[in-house]
Amino acid sequence: SSLSSLVTPNTAELEEEQQGRVLLRERYLRSLLAMARQPVSFAMYEKVNVTALFGASDIDILNFQVSELQTPLGVQREALLRCSDIIAYSFEL
Amino acid sequence: MTEWQKKSPLEWLSYVNKEVKVLAAEKNTYQGWVLTVDPVSANILLAQPLENGKMSISAVLGHAVQDVEIVNEADDTMKEKLSHLFMPEERQRYSQ
Repeated sequence: SSLSSLVTPNTAELEEEQQGRVLLRERYLRSLLAMARQPVSFAMYEKVNVTALFGASDIDILNFQVSELQTPLGVQREALLRCSDIIAYSFEL
Repeated sequence: MTEWQKKSPLEWLSYVNKEVKVLAAEKNTYQGWVLTVDPVSANILLAQPLENGKMSISAVLGHAVQDVEIVNEADDTMKEKLSHLFMPEERQRYSQ
């Protein structure tokens, strides 16, 4: 019983944290689904703003795959944006 | 890692359904209702109702978040609206 009294509060805390994590992650993943095939504006560093149709993200949210990327140098049919280059993105729902 | 990225899921959860002002890299600011914070990237997802009835959805990337200030708390109507934003419609889920 001394073991369970040591373990229990910790487990409950972990459980609560895990449930919070699930809720947060599910909502974020659903937002990526809702964003697919939508025009999205990206605010990049150095005041560069570009728009593209959102395709997909990798699981760690490190890269976004987009198409029809409008850049000052023309339109890129397909592109990968590194998330570390992006400050923010937005779209309408 | 920034202070924002180091927060725990429960700390991020406490921002959900709050209206916030986010100060981001290069002095960019964003305001809206917090839908979620991705626990993997710390990206903060905001919703802002538009005059045409649509919602503007913005995300500030976790690495670019410098400060998050809570300015308002959602009432029940707003909470309801926010929680249904990305959920599949009932009929899509059950009709087939």
